[in-house]
Amino acid sequence: MTRVQLVEISKQYGSTLAVDGVNADIAEGEFVTLLGPSGCGKTTTLRMVAGLVEPTAGQIRFDGQVVNNVPPHKRNIGLAFQSHALFPHLSVYRNIAFGLEVKGSPKADIQNRVREMLEMIELTHHADRMPSQLSGGQQQRVALARMLATDPRVLLFDEPLSALDRNLRDTLKYSILDLQRRTKKTAIYVTHDQSEAFAISDRIFVMNEGRIEQAGTQLDIYLRPHTEFVAGFVGDNNAIPAEVEGVVPSLPGEPRLLDVRAAGMRLRGSDPGNIRVGDRVLVFVRPENIDVLDAASAVDEPNVVHGRIEQIVFEGPTVRVLVDASGVLIKVTSSGLGRLTLLDKERRDVMLRLQDVTVVRDDAAVAA
Amino acid sequence: MAVAAASAPRIENRSGGFSLRWLGNALAHGYVWAWLAIFALPFMATLAYSLRTPDGIWTLSAYQYVFGSFKENLLLSVQTTVITIVINLLISVPAAYAIVRYPLPGKSFILSALNLSLYTPAAVMGVSLVIAYAFLFRIPQTMTGLIAAYVVGTFPLMLVPVIVALRDLPMVFEEAARTLGATRMQTFWRVELPLLGPGISAGILLTFVIIFNEFLVTLFIAGPSTTTAALRVYNLTRTAGFQPSTAALATTMQLVSFVVVLLFFRFFGSRYLKGTYLI
Repeated sequence: MTRVQLVEISKQYGSTLAVDGVNADIAEGEFVTLLGPSGCGKTTTLRMVAGLVEPTAGQIRFDGQVVNNVPPHKRNIGLAFQSHALFPHLSVYRNIAFGLEVKGSPKADIQNRVREMLEMIELTHHADRMPSQLSGGQQQRVALARMLATDPRVLLFDEPLSALDRNLRDTLKYSILDLQRRTKKTAIYVTHDQSEAFAISDRIFVMNEGRIEQAGTQLDIYLRPHTEFVAGFVGDNNAIPAEVEGVVPSLPGEPRLLDVRAAGMRLRGSDPGNIRVGDRVLVFVRPENIDVLDAASAVDEPNVVHGRIEQIVFEGPTVRVLVDASGVLIKVTSSGLGRLTLLDKERRDVMLRLQDVTVVRDDAAVAA
Repeated sequence: MAVAAASAPRIENRSGGFSLRWLGNALAHGYVWAWLAIFALPFMATLAYSLRTPDGIWTLSAYQYVFGSFKENLLLSVQTTVITIVINLLISVPAAYAIVRYPLPGKSFILSALNLSLYTPAAVMGVSLVIAYAFLFRIPQTMTGLIAAYVVGTFPLMLVPVIVALRDLPMVFEEAARTLGATRMQTFWRVELPLLGPGISAGILLTFVIIFNEFLVTLFIAGPSTTTAALRVYNLTRTAGFQPSTAALATTMQLVSFVVVLLFFRFFGSRYLKGTYLI
């Protein structure tokens, strides 16, 4: 149970700033994911917490204690690597025992602990195998056991599942979450896979170009993105350029709504808080949050727009529809039985009802 | 389709192809064996010569000399070889570590400079060593002098394979060990050194073969009490002419070399030389 704080940490390699003033306060027992594209600085941040990379500036604190100058072997952390990193010359048993052996634990203790770990990962009968004799999933499980054997304060995961196939990834994802819940250890998990991040995290930190773009719960990140990057990176999204026309009066404590106009469409969406009337904005709406209505059901209210179906793709559980609405192409994902009624509607006029609409300032337009 | 392909007209073709393939195989085997014979011939001739008296009688009597004074020459060769290998290791492993793992200005220049001794003609090196030993270090004709010369001449043979092995060794093992609580030294002894096995064993084998059979540089710097096996064979050929006893010593040397390499492959070959650790 350790609280991990990152205070304004930065890492500079030559003239590139890999990590640029990252702040994070991770509570005891919390499971946090650093999510972002490759090169966004998430792995460098994790390696700084592990002590493998020295920050250029800023502080890393475990339970309030600054650990910047503590070498990795004294930080008492567990790190899971993308390539499991099992020692190829040691058996499964010796791999798990490694951390305890270098600490000089008594032989009997090591034996008990390794047995316990082998039972946990259900590989008791594989103790004498070499890592190369195990399957990919077994290797990663041994790596997890090795990392937990020394009872570390903080668990760090550097894309531990990205080298595995999809089914295995899904199973192991929940094993990792289960392990963390049972041990109640603080965990930091790095991934570029949003579904992984959504499935296991208490909180997600979306990173881009060395900075944290947004930190929040899965729902915050998914439904209320604060920046164009977050809205575009997490999940499939429609981005519609628009201009702010007015602010909708709201009760105190209610989220503020904005009226925007986009190519003849009147839309209304939640305001992240930094937008004024007249600003160029992007309106984001997720394909699965759009209903397709009958063309005749013309209702004059915001977020209900007129369009024409351009393309229909049947994907089994979902149907993807491309709708031309006043010259803007809008992606719609329809599921449920209603999706089947769409299949013969190509080139037909329809109405779309857009829900959970978010407005984000268009940084490109601001810069221009 | 597969059934149609195996129909009657094809079978005739295949029998023709078979005899051609057989011929090709025979030629390939013949070629390999012919070259093997050519390479083995000098050794076989020496062996035959050592087993016959001038009167044409086959006997092992020439080999009695091997167990005479030549035993000491052999022992000296083995001693100097082993000590040189140990010193080479002590120099090369830390050097390779520094060169690969740490930023070093002028790295490629340093590497080229270190390899210089490999490109120095043995005669030039011999003369330089005679001069240096006599006037600078005062160790002419000693075992120390021999070993020093061998180390200077062969440590790149150890250094280069270790550098290559260390470069191919992913950093991730070192990092895993460190985060599991191992100090730098523990990481080195328990993880990196064992994983460098392929590089180190290649270096040992190369150094052994070169030093055990080294003769030209030795000729310059050896004294009466530091005559190696190779030098003894040369001296005998020069002074006594080519006797069966000399051939017996040469054959013995060859056999020792051969057996050591064979044992090496037997014990380390499957594990280290194939580099199976990382695959």
